[in-house]
Amino acid sequence: MGCASSKQFKRRTPGYEDPNILAKETTFSVNEVEALYELYKKISNSIFKDGIIHKEEFQLALFRNSSKKNLFADRIFDLFDQKRNGVIEFGEFVRSLNIFHPDTPMTEKIAFAFRLYDLRCTGFIEREELKELVIALLNESDLFLSEEAVEQIVDQTFKQADANGDGKIDPDEWKDFACKNPALLRNMTLPYLNMQKSTWARAVVM
Amino acid sequence: MSTMATDPQPLVMGRYYLIKLLGKGSFAKVYKARHAETGEEVAIKIMDKDHLAKSGAEQQQIMSEIDIMRRVRHPNVVRLHEVMANKKRIFVVMELVRGGSLLGYLSRNRGVGEPAARRVFQQLVSAVEYCHSRGVFHRDIKPENILVDGKGDIKVADFGLSALADTKHDALLHTVCGTPMYIAPEVILNRGRGYDGVAADVWACGVVLFVIVAGCLPFSSVTDTGAMYRKIVRRQYDCPESLSPGLARLVRRILSPLPAQRITIPQIKQMPWFRRGFKEINFYIGSDECPRTLGDYHDLDSDSDDDSNSTVSSSEDPSSPVQHRGRRMHTSVSAPSLTSLEKEKDSSVPAMRRPKSLNAFDIIASSPSFDLSGLFDEPGEQMRFVSAAPVPKIIAKLEEIAGHVSFTARTKEHQVSIEATRNGLRGVLIISAKVFELTQDLVMVKVCKKAGDTAEYRQFCDKELKPGLRGLVDGMPPAGDSA
Repeated sequence: MGCASSKQFKRRTPGYEDPNILAKETTFSVNEVEALYELYKKISNSIFKDGIIHKEEFQLALFRNSSKKNLFADRIFDLFDQKRNGVIEFGEFVRSLNIFHPDTPMTEKIAFAFRLYDLRCTGFIEREELKELVIALLNESDLFLSEEAVEQIVDQTFKQADANGDGKIDPDEWKDFACKNPALLRNMTLPYLNMQKSTWARAVVM
Repeated sequence: MSTMATDPQPLVMGRYYLIKLLGKGSFAKVYKARHAETGEEVAIKIMDKDHLAKSGAEQQQIMSEIDIMRRVRHPNVVRLHEVMANKKRIFVVMELVRGGSLLGYLSRNRGVGEPAARRVFQQLVSAVEYCHSRGVFHRDIKPENILVDGKGDIKVADFGLSALADTKHDALLHTVCGTPMYIAPEVILNRGRGYDGVAADVWACGVVLFVIVAGCLPFSSVTDTGAMYRKIVRRQYDCPESLSPGLARLVRRILSPLPAQRITIPQIKQMPWFRRGFKEINFYIGSDECPRTLGDYHDLDSDSDDDSNSTVSSSEDPSSPVQHRGRRMHTSVSAPSLTSLEKEKDSSVPAMRRPKSLNAFDIIASSPSFDLSGLFDEPGEQMRFVSAAPVPKIIAKLEEIAGHVSFTARTKEHQVSIEATRNGLRGVLIISAKVFELTQDLVMVKVCKKAGDTAEYRQFCDKELKPGLRGLVDGMPPAGDSA
């Protein structure tokens, strides 16, 4: 019948990957990967309409604003862009969002958060990086703290997290600290991604 | 507990042993159950999912009501601990009330006198008024849903759950079959579409009151539903002569077929019959003052430091109860001892407590810009500001602002936080404010919308909150930027 062939002719965006393969690699089911594809299509056609997510489109989707400079959007975008070619392809999108799935093991989330906060990719979260993050995020919310106050907060945090006291947080120290304070990883889980589990979202939708 | 059975009991949701069946309705069964780890006894209502209401608006309403109910405390309302679902069923975990339903109580105590009826009715009205003030309606008040404990005090069950089971159809069905009906006439006439939940609940309270004092339903007809409706519309019922005039008048004003003409709760509370011996109970949305381990970890986390996420979800995201599970096992840091909570019921004590402190990573993780939810949903309504003022002063100021705009402010236990509710033009608006310690001299205050209309919330922030806080606050976001 015409069924199989019409599918072949359907235009897929560059970087499209087979949902079956993506589902195997991730916590998502095939249906969920397909649902994510719908979302991907929407985001990737919001500005440039070329079926690939550009940074501006990513920012627009996150904050309803494509021009506002945002440290977080930059960081996340860079981590999503695994091939480092300046755009997020569909496979990258799904594999990266997988980190945020509620069922993804904590260790993966911890590792991802570490990379996110290790702004200069030195393999450590350094004092300066943490300070920069805090200031940038507060400023984005129009909160301006004195230098001294930020120093105090960062000092206090390092006292708790930098176990060996060498002035930087290594992956093991981060892991211990995050395990003790799981609330720190709350932005690493998106309940929205739990589409399949026997949850309320499902209960109500089905 | 003494009923410890040796047989393996069925385990539901991985953590409750079903002990025994307490009751059974057409679509639901209620079990007594025990938490596998803590041994806490609860009641679990298990419903078939086929009877879920399905429209999007209704779902949102259900979710937001359940979310509110999970945080609501009132002595005459059965506490809702959690709601979960699998493919086929919905599980509602709630407080176990020892005793039975009002139905059984009435049949055991024939000829309940007016003083006893008044007590039940006062408690019922108090519970209903309280839940209405939080934006939650019952829609299915009947003696079966009113539980009576050992002391003769009542607890209303199933608040906010009405839309889960399709009670309207259920009720219509039952009406046809001639079983008791407590459904307001406008609900039946409109087939449940677009009616005033407040007035409908008042009607049901009136029928319950009548049943208590008269021992029978005001309107019922085993065979002829049409005849029954005609009676309702003409307000034709036999009022027992034994009723005092004040009571008879109250019943008559409640059983008004037109919702617009029906007496309201504030008016009921002015009626002399009602006022006798009535003590106004001032209650609050508590958080977790009860000795539960189970419910505690949900709310603790979400209430103490998870604003950005839980805000969005509590009013707008249908998956919110889910979100409140799984990630919650942790933040027990600030859990207070029971005794300290008992003492802190009055709202005047927050100054004694120390706010939870935030470290640098907390600030990062709770930052609205560090949140991917925007990909899936509208960003939540949250505002943060920093202040060097002492915590008691901030709280006093917030309460003043809340009072100024006729909010009711309540300080919660175990954290420095106030939650304000008001009945706005577009329904109830619930706003929460929480204070966190940043450094020895600085605190961060997070204000977010818990439920209600977004435009109305923004207006509150711009017109009342922000101007009111000027002077106390270092970094005040410019007007209009509340995300």
